[in-house]
Amino acid sequence: MRLLIVEDELKTGNYLKQGLTEAGFQVSLARNGLDGHHLAMTELFDVIILDVMLPDVSGWRILQSLREAKKQTPVLFLSARDSVDDRVKGLELGADDYLIKPFAFSEVLARVRTLLRRGGTQKVEDVLKIADLEMNIPKRKVQRAGQRITLSNKEFSLLELLLRREGEVLPRSLIASQVWDMNFDSDTNVIDVAIRRLRSKVDDDFTVKLIHTVRGMGYKLEAMPNAS
Amino acid sequence: MRVSTRPLSLTMRVLLFVAITIIGCFTFVASLINSSIEHHFLQQDSGELQVITQSVESVLSQPFQSQKQLENALSIAVVGHHGVYYQVNTLEGELVYQSSHNDFTELAMRAKASQGFKKENIITWHTGSKAYRALVSELETSKQHYKIAVAIDMSFHLRFLTQFKQSLWVIMLGSAVLVLLVAWIAIHQGLNPLRGLTQKMLDIQTNKMDVRLDHNNVPVELENMVQSFNVMLDRLQSEFIRLSNFSSDIAHELRTPLTNIITQTQVGLSKSRAVVDYQELLFSNLEELERLTKMVNDMLWLAKTQNGLIKPKQQILQSHDEIASLFDYFDALAEEVGICFKTEGENLRFYCDQLHFRQLLSNLLSNAIRYTPKGASISVKSEKVSADTVCISVVNPGEKIPAEHLPYLFDRFYRPDKSRQKHSDGVGLGLAIVKALAEANDGAIKVYSDEHETCFSVYLKSAKLT
Repeated sequence: MRLLIVEDELKTGNYLKQGLTEAGFQVSLARNGLDGHHLAMTELFDVIILDVMLPDVSGWRILQSLREAKKQTPVLFLSARDSVDDRVKGLELGADDYLIKPFAFSEVLARVRTLLRRGGTQKVEDVLKIADLEMNIPKRKVQRAGQRITLSNKEFSLLELLLRREGEVLPRSLIASQVWDMNFDSDTNVIDVAIRRLRSKVDDDFTVKLIHTVRGMGYKLEAMPNAS
Repeated sequence: MRVSTRPLSLTMRVLLFVAITIIGCFTFVASLINSSIEHHFLQQDSGELQVITQSVESVLSQPFQSQKQLENALSIAVVGHHGVYYQVNTLEGELVYQSSHNDFTELAMRAKASQGFKKENIITWHTGSKAYRALVSELETSKQHYKIAVAIDMSFHLRFLTQFKQSLWVIMLGSAVLVLLVAWIAIHQGLNPLRGLTQKMLDIQTNKMDVRLDHNNVPVELENMVQSFNVMLDRLQSEFIRLSNFSSDIAHELRTPLTNIITQTQVGLSKSRAVVDYQELLFSNLEELERLTKMVNDMLWLAKTQNGLIKPKQQILQSHDEIASLFDYFDALAEEVGICFKTEGENLRFYCDQLHFRQLLSNLLSNAIRYTPKGASISVKSEKVSADTVCISVVNPGEKIPAEHLPYLFDRFYRPDKSRQKHSDGVGLGLAIVKALAEANDGAIKVYSDEHETCFSVYLKSAKLT
């Protein structure tokens, strides 16, 4: 998967590149609008991460010429300005998503993955499996190593989300929004508690742990045989 | 062309009123004087006319021998009257006697004659450039039937009247101008206290906001204005103090996490350590940074609501649905700390942006969970308080919030319990955001607290059933 980052801020660009490279993407970084514009128009990327405020060519200008050239590459905007007008303008110009600085890296990662998924044909499977855990969505049944696990509605949705995004780090805000439809930042530890309870049902009685805490970022579901 | 909508100046208004009144009064007085003088002249003239008519009549009534004798008698009948002319004709128009060269025969024959003296028969004649007041009467003696015409020259009166009118107008015009001038000076003087006030108001600066205008020192008409101005200043001052406290609060709130980050990073870097220590350090930094981020975001959000940049969607919500979904969200947390949730009241429909309402209720619930003792229950009540207002209240048992804290609970960074530390309390903006959210949706927020429970109530616009 090839990503293009257009970001003039030195540190932000470097760390975004490092983080996304370590997450398994092939990342090109352009330090100014002109280079970014050139790269975006000549090479093929799966997602473009675009800073709005660049010293030479604005992110909006790049997006505009990209769309005028009929290139439908998904674009994720980064901006330090958070006004409704800006947001509307970005989306009208054809941006696919919008992140306000300061943002969490886990959020960038999650949004990029969402954009990538949107492009491809998504297969909605009825039965999800990982290691010895099996989840039957239509029958609302969860089994681990043949044992039936009883989950509440929300726990079921939470596990489904983790399973469908297997291996991805999911930030708390994304979990709150996807499972509970709470689309705002909350300073409560509701998600931590919910994960803890889910864990006690799914992981506690088994040696192989599936739900992992990624400190400072969020949670992920992964079968790591050697994990503690 | 742009039409100015500024109302007429106060000076102009008063002067206009004074001018209209003066012109009215003077016109009335002038016409009164005029008509009484005219009346006086008429009176005088009619008296003279009567006397002369009577003298002529008495001469005519006496027997006389010849025409000559009659003429003599008539010529001496009227003595000591100037500008008085009389003549006697027969009824057929034949001239009997004429006191001057002015011939009134034609006029006299045309005029209606009266028997004896009658005031209403006095008439005015104009011959050439002269005007006369005249009386024509008939007299029947044993020998003849006479027509007597007596005329008084009124040119003198008319000239006097014209002159009098002229000077009257000049005097009146002069006095009108004088009165207006005095009125203008009076207004100018009268507005002096206002200019004084303006000067005092100009002196009020942000660093001298405790200056108040003395309402005992101004004319009684301005007292209300001065009091209102002082009330406005009070409000502005308290808002200003709040704002400046707020800026210093922000600085203070930022200082603590920044100190933590700098200190722990410097200590961490001061010698080489195990990887685990570095990870711990970074994680600890991250925690502080996330707090800072949250604070900055919340602050920006609050600033936006104050500038009216948040435009809520007008959505119709069902109270029980929203409460249920929030209970769902907080369920795990509540169970963990041993608290139950209860829904009370009717399922009401009201207007509010769904995202805003959820955030609002979420802040109130997390606040309630923080202060509710273990094993107790938090209830969320929906009530209809009036035809177009619903009230959603979050009630939790717990310690009383002292009354002196209540007015400030919704202020930014206000913590009633100074010792309670921030990590458990968020950044101290939760309730400020609740208030801003309620107000952005045309609602209001109230708090009540007694020994047993604390209740936060949100008032929102009720939606009609469709």
